[in-house]
Amino acid sequence: MNLSSKSYTADDFAAVQEFFHARKWTDGLPIVPPTEAAVRACLEWVAMAPDHLVGIEPVRERAITAEKLAINAVMAGCLPMHFPVVVAAFTAMLQEPFLLHGATASTGGCAILIVVNGPIRDETGMDGTFNALAASDRASTAIGRAVRLTLYNLLDVRPGAADRATLGHPGKISYCLAEDEANSPWLPLCEERGIPTGLSAVTVMAAGAPRQLMNEWTTRPEEILDTFVAEIRANMLNYSIWPGNYAIVLPPQLRTHFAAAGWSKADIRRYVFDHARVTRREWAACGKGSVVGDKADKVYQALPAADDLLVIAAGGPAGGFGAVIPPWFGPKSRAVTVAIGACVDCG
Amino acid sequence: MTIRFLDPTHEADSRAFVAAPRLAALDGATVAIISNGKKSTKPFFDAIEAELKGRYRVASVVRLTKYNYSAPVEPELLKEAAKWHAIITGVGD
Repeated sequence: MNLSSKSYTADDFAAVQEFFHARKWTDGLPIVPPTEAAVRACLEWVAMAPDHLVGIEPVRERAITAEKLAINAVMAGCLPMHFPVVVAAFTAMLQEPFLLHGATASTGGCAILIVVNGPIRDETGMDGTFNALAASDRASTAIGRAVRLTLYNLLDVRPGAADRATLGHPGKISYCLAEDEANSPWLPLCEERGIPTGLSAVTVMAAGAPRQLMNEWTTRPEEILDTFVAEIRANMLNYSIWPGNYAIVLPPQLRTHFAAAGWSKADIRRYVFDHARVTRREWAACGKGSVVGDKADKVYQALPAADDLLVIAAGGPAGGFGAVIPPWFGPKSRAVTVAIGACVDCG
Repeated sequence: MTIRFLDPTHEADSRAFVAAPRLAALDGATVAIISNGKKSTKPFFDAIEAELKGRYRVASVVRLTKYNYSAPVEPELLKEAAKWHAIITGVGD
């Protein structure tokens, strides 16, 4: 296995860090030195040659090879067992409906949300319970950061370079979670999106920051979802009115009420689809009256279709806290789900 | 202890883009202006068009707008490009 990347030397660990910071090859945090041995271990884990083409970024026609992806994954802190998730995430991000260039360059400042399903969660120690949306475990943090560092180093998505975000959000450091399948009464997200039972998969979405909410004052599914819908409507009015993929995160305490009432994820999607709507005139109440124009009565829905809602079971055991994760740019960038280490549509 | 490590960047894929030959003058030229489609491009490019025609005596200005401001320009918008002497593209927010 011959690696083709240029190599450098530094006197010690601290010197390696300064080498990377000086060249803007890292995100402000220290990196794990990407030694040949560590990179080879990642490639051997996925049985990929160094020049294996994971995909091509279409705008700059830049190749994403397994070797370069592995280097950035090692830097981010990934172990070889984490690397299949990184490969799958990038495979999904490079699919045309995801609109990778726009999602990573936009002033809108979204981050790449990565949702992991299937057995690989347990194999890698991913934990979709406590603190599910931020640094819940080693694998989740490292995998999310690997995606970000790869964007830095292979596509120049650094602040002020290709990344033109006005604000961005903390998910740009790492935005990866595992669905809490073990404690969920529902089908995993990936199965609802067409991945066969038993396979592991990732779903990627160009996503804004999570908008946390709380409703511990009812057990009725409709009322719980009304809180989610209110948050979605607020996002439509305050951020972007365009319909797209929204994700909602439901913790165990709220899931209990849906399970007791016999609600499936499909029931949730249908309710949110039916209710998450605003009229253009509502913009006037949040400072956007100048663009209401002559379409004040026009109705805008958050979801193009009910299936565009991603329902994710995650969160610690106590607390009626949920989250709405809004889309970056309505229908222009679509969530993409791919299997990890398997082709499900190869005939 | 010396540590040897690998370059994480696209290194070998840094293509050497070469700028097109510069025009000596704009008199009588056809210039295309491609907007990314955002609202504020209109007054900005209106002003550029007026400057091109008034100050630089450009013969004609072709105004085009991308369908999706976050995606590359659609190939069909460039099918007449061989007839243009220059293209101006830009964003508006």
